[in-house]
Amino acid sequence: MARRKVNGYAAIGFPTWAYVVFFFIVPLALVLWYSFGYKPDLFTAHANDILSFDRYAEALDATFVGTFWNTLRIGVIGTLLCLIIALPFAYWLAVKMNPKWRPLALALVLVPFWTNFLVRTLGWQIVLSPRGFLSDALQNLGIIHGRLDILYTQSAVQLGVVYNYLPLMILPLYVAIDRAGRPLREASADLGANRWKTLFTVTLPLAVPGIASGCLLVFIPLMGDYITASVLGGAQGNMIGQLVASQFNTAQNWALGSAMAVLLMVFTAAAVIVFGAAGLIIRSLVRRSRRVQLQGGAA
Amino acid sequence: MTAAVEGIASAIVLEEADIPQPRRRRRRDGTGVALTVWGVLVFAFLFLPIIVMFVYSFNTGRLLASWKGFGFTAYTSAAQNPIIVSSVITSLSAALGAAIVSTILGTLGGIALARSRATSTSVIIATAILTITLFTPEIVDAVSMLPWFVSLGTDWGLGVFNNGLVRLVVAHAVLSVAVVTFIVRARMQGLDASLEEAAADLYATPWRRFTQITLPVASPAIWAGALMSFTLSLDNTIVSSFVQVPGSTPWPVYIFASLRVGLRPEIAAVSTVMFLLTLVALAVVAFVLRRGDQSADDIAKTLAAG
Repeated sequence: MARRKVNGYAAIGFPTWAYVVFFFIVPLALVLWYSFGYKPDLFTAHANDILSFDRYAEALDATFVGTFWNTLRIGVIGTLLCLIIALPFAYWLAVKMNPKWRPLALALVLVPFWTNFLVRTLGWQIVLSPRGFLSDALQNLGIIHGRLDILYTQSAVQLGVVYNYLPLMILPLYVAIDRAGRPLREASADLGANRWKTLFTVTLPLAVPGIASGCLLVFIPLMGDYITASVLGGAQGNMIGQLVASQFNTAQNWALGSAMAVLLMVFTAAAVIVFGAAGLIIRSLVRRSRRVQLQGGAA
Repeated sequence: MTAAVEGIASAIVLEEADIPQPRRRRRRDGTGVALTVWGVLVFAFLFLPIIVMFVYSFNTGRLLASWKGFGFTAYTSAAQNPIIVSSVITSLSAALGAAIVSTILGTLGGIALARSRATSTSVIIATAILTITLFTPEIVDAVSMLPWFVSLGTDWGLGVFNNGLVRLVVAHAVLSVAVVTFIVRARMQGLDASLEEAAADLYATPWRRFTQITLPVASPAIWAGALMSFTLSLDNTIVSSFVQVPGSTPWPVYIFASLRVGLRPEIAAVSTVMFLLTLVALAVVAFVLRRGDQSADDIAKTLAAG
C-alpha cells in the first residue's frame, strides 16, 4: 500500500503503551517472579532469595486440581448454554425483527450489561431464595413440593454465570449474522435452497467468526469469575478464582497465590487452544464433506 | 482464513446489491413465531433480576430478601447512612477519574493504531499487549496490581499510590484503556485519512490538524469509549476489593463485604438510583452520538467488534 503518511500520529500512542506496560505488564511479570519464591515465615508475604518450582508443585494439589476441573466444567457448560440461548436470539434480532425496532432491542440487550454485575447476581439470589416469591409461586402451582432448593448449589452458579455473560455472547453473534447480510440469504433462497439449508450453509458458516469471539468473550472472564460463585454458590460453589484470592487475602502467601494465578492463566489459555483447534478441525471436516457433495452434484 | 471468507462474502454482497431484488413479504410462520417467543423469553430472563431488585428496593423489612411491606424507608435510611454515601461518592469519583484517564489514553492509542502501518512491529506489539489486558482473568489483574501498588508506595517512596482513590483510578483505567483504544481505532479505520492529509497540505500545524480535524471526526467513538470505561469502573468489584484502602471503599466492594453480614434493602435502593443514573448517562451519550449521526446499531457494532 502506497498510502502517504500524514504525520507523526504513530508516536502519539506512546503514553498509552507506556501506561499499560507500567501498570499491567510489569505487575504481571512481578506475579511470575513471585511464583518462584516462597513464604519465609508467618508474618512475611513472600521472599525471592531462593528460586524454585516448588510453589507450582504445591499449587497442583488435589483441591486445586479438583476446583479447576469444577471451574472448567462450569465454564464450558456455561459457554455452550450461552451459545444455545444467544444464537436463535441473535438470529431473531438480526433477521426477523423489524429494522425499525432493532436499535431499541439492542439498547435493551445492553441495559443489563450496564447494570452492576454484583447487583444483578444479588437479584438472582432473591429470585432463587427458598422463601422467595418464585419458590412460593412454584409451590402454589404444585410444580415443586417443599421449598425451592437451588440457591447455594452448583446449578445456581451455572444459572448465574449464563445470565451474567449472555450479553457478551449476543452482541458478537448479532454483528456476525447482520454482516452476513440479507442479500446472501435471498440469493441462497433464489438458488433453490430451503430455509434450513440456507441456515446451515450460508448464515451459520458466515457467523463462525462471531461465534468464536463470543465464546472467547464468555469463557475467559467466566474462568476468572468468583463473584457469581460467592453470591449464589455458597460453600459448594468453589471456583478457582476464590482459591487464588484466598491465598492473597487470608493466607497471605503471595508466592503460592502467584503460582496459582499463573497456572490459572496457563490452563485457561490451554483450554482455549484445545477448543479452538477442535473447532478448526470440525470446520475443515465440514468443508471437506460439503465440497465432495458439490462435486457429486456437478458430475 | 476468516478474512478471506469475509472478503468473498462482502464481494458477493456488493455484487448482489447491484441487482434489484423483489421485496419478499415476511411470512408469519411457525419458525418466526417460535423465534419471537424465544426472543421475548430471553428479554424476560435478562430483565428478571433487575426488576426484582427494583421491586425489593421498596421493601420495608430489615433483610433484603424477605418482603415485609411497601415503603421508601430503604431510600431514606440509605441517604442517612454515611458509609453508604461515602462509598457511592468514592465509586462515582473513581469512575469519573478512570473514564478521563482511559479516554485520553485510549483516544491517543486508537488514533495511533489506525494511522500507522498495520504490519509494523510496534503496532503488532501494542495490539497484542492491549489484547492481553482484555483477556486476562480479572482475579489475575487483581493479585498482580496489589503487590505492585504496595511496592510503588513503600519501596519506591511514591506516596501517591497509598491513596485509595488514586489506586482505583489507575487500576480501572488500565482495565478499560484497551476497550477505548479499540473503539476509537475502529472508528478511525472506517474513515479515510484524506481529510487530515488535506489539512496538512493546507499548512495546518500538527496541533490544529489534531484538534480541528482528527478529534471531531473521532468524537462519537470517544464518547462511546468514555461511557464504557465509566460503567466498567462502576461495575468493578474484584480488582477494587484488592487494591482499595480502608476509608475509600467503592460501592460494589461495600455490597460484596455486606454479603457476609446480611443484605439490607438499602443496597437495592442505592442500586436502583445508580441504575437510573446509568440510564441518564446512556441517554446523554445516545443524544450526542445521534448528533454525530451514528445509529445505535453502529454503536453496538463498534462495541462488539472492539
